[in-house]
Amino acid sequence: MIRLLLALVLAATAATATGASAQPLLDWTEEEVRSIGRHGPWPPPPVRDPSNRVSGTPSGILLGEHLFNEPRLSGNGKMSCATCHQAGRDWSDGLARAQGVVELDRRTPSLWNVGYSHWFGWDGAGDSLWAQSIRPLLDAREMNGGTERVGTLLRNDRALACGYEKAFGRKPGNDDELLLVDTAKALAAFQATFVSPRTPFDDFRDALLAGDRGAAARYPMSAQRGLRLFIGNASCNACHFGPRFTNGEFGDIGIPFFVRPGEVDSGRLGGLTRLAESPFSLLGKFNDDATGENARRTRHVRRLHTNFGEFRVPGLRQVGRGGPYMHNGSVATLEDVVKHYSEVNPDRLHSDGVPLVRPLALSPDQSADLVAFLRSLDADVPPRPAAPPLCP
Amino acid sequence: MRRFFVALMMLMGATPALADCPLDLGRGTGWVVFSDHYMIAFRPDPVRVEVGEPFALVLNVCTKGGDPAELIAVEAQMPEHKHSMNYKAAIVASPNGRYRAEGLVFHMPGRWEISFDVRAGEESERLSHDIILK
Ligand code: HEC
Ligand code: HEC
Repeated sequence: MIRLLLALVLAATAATATGASAQPLLDWTEEEVRSIGRHGPWPPPPVRDPSNRVSGTPSGILLGEHLFNEPRLSGNGKMSCATCHQAGRDWSDGLARAQGVVELDRRTPSLWNVGYSHWFGWDGAGDSLWAQSIRPLLDAREMNGGTERVGTLLRNDRALACGYEKAFGRKPGNDDELLLVDTAKALAAFQATFVSPRTPFDDFRDALLAGDRGAAARYPMSAQRGLRLFIGNASCNACHFGPRFTNGEFGDIGIPFFVRPGEVDSGRLGGLTRLAESPFSLLGKFNDDATGENARRTRHVRRLHTNFGEFRVPGLRQVGRGGPYMHNGSVATLEDVVKHYSEVNPDRLHSDGVPLVRPLALSPDQSADLVAFLRSLDADVPPRPAAPPLCP
Repeated sequence: MRRFFVALMMLMGATPALADCPLDLGRGTGWVVFSDHYMIAFRPDPVRVEVGEPFALVLNVCTKGGDPAELIAVEAQMPEHKHSMNYKAAIVASPNGRYRAEGLVFHMPGRWEISFDVRAGEESERLSHDIILK
């Protein structure tokens, strides 16, 4: 009896052992391994933005964190950046359309990994993280704060004034516009620290590149099949390219851009107009980078008629934790996103050449695989400790 | 990339007649395109072109007859998808006769066709060269 039990136990351990080592791994081609490699390594080096003098400085980051949570920056004293960009909700709000003073036309994007972007907002109207951070402060539909309010608060609040002095090396002066820009630069320094953790995909990628088949095989088969689709037949990586799964540019995937009957969101086209009109762009006097190197995109970007109805390609890290999706929150779940790519109406997508987006007609299994892959880009996030005081 | 480099070196070694047109742009890397009348040698700066990252091209433009030649425009498109760059390259002529096309960005992986509009006297022509970005 004992012998039988022992045999059984041995057999069982042997089974799990072989089960583990014989975990299937797709037969990845060299070409595929190279494509997969392009989605890493992760995390990237910390952000250093030469256009922002307090980028990467501990005192700038800390001041930014306090300002991010500061409702006195808003016209009604009730709304802060954190009202819409909530730490516990992956820096978004879970709504289809953001709720400011009124309901806005666009969804609040997650701010994960935002420091690595080069165009900001769904239409790329901002060319730096700090320029983008000015907009909600001034926009009457959002925080409706106003330039004066920001300056007055920095001058009159003891803790903020002290935090400002530590970050910028001078006391808050009387130039309200400069204080507005500096506020935005501190906010940007803080937001640039939002780097999402490593994911199951990253472990797989690194193991695959290192030739460690055992470790690579821990990545579920369905995610592997979904990944093969993503970089293969579905060519999702034409746009969702690189470590953040975005090329940082703009595309039209057939999401309706009607805001109300008769009114459209022109997307990138309008964004380029706003960029050209902004006194806060990298071509303006507030850019701290004397070399002008970082303004190259802004200097050379051009308007194309195809920009109409284009929106920024979102990064896909932490995507499964968010939703609803798209610039207007019109797609509810990740499954629905995949359904969209599977069934998209080709007439809606004007393309002269081989279309980048076309109805993929995925089987239910393929759709489930693609979702499994997308979910492997998610990582749990430890709760954030409260910010330490500015000037203890 | 390395293969083009080798091709360039062989071309240079095997064709002494090209010696008048300085095809070596330094750093030992680059590409050459030519037609019946023109030759263009160019290399990217930085040398490795990355998807979504701005780069410049350093170029020498020559005619085979040795007449002065001028670079008018540099463009790029993805022939399969029929779309161009989201950026417009600006051309700067430097005193040493070279050109620099600044502000190119290839925003997708795949095949990009770079086209060069060149002119010598009244004659203008478009030359092109493919780069596959992965
Ligand atoms: C009322 C809700 C709301 C508030 C408050 C708000 N935002 Fe936003 N945020 C949005 C929406 C909506 C967008 C998309 C805007 C667009 O595309 O034009 C956005 C976009 C952004 C972006 C661009 C992200 C990207 O991926 O390009 C940044 C950065 C940002 N907000 C920072 C801030 C900061 C800093 C504050 C506080 C000063 C703030 N936001 C306050 C709703 C809000
Ligand atoms: C032509 C470029 C392009 C291709 C190809 C492409 N996407 Fe997208 N993707 C976008 C753009 C642009 C958006 C945002 C559209 C909008 O908001 O109107 C988007 C949105 C998404 C979103 C929603 C993210 C969010 O935060 O709202 C997901 C998920 C996604 N794509 C996955 C995929 C998958 C999977 C594929 C392949 C089947 C794919 N994409 C192919 C450009 C592309």
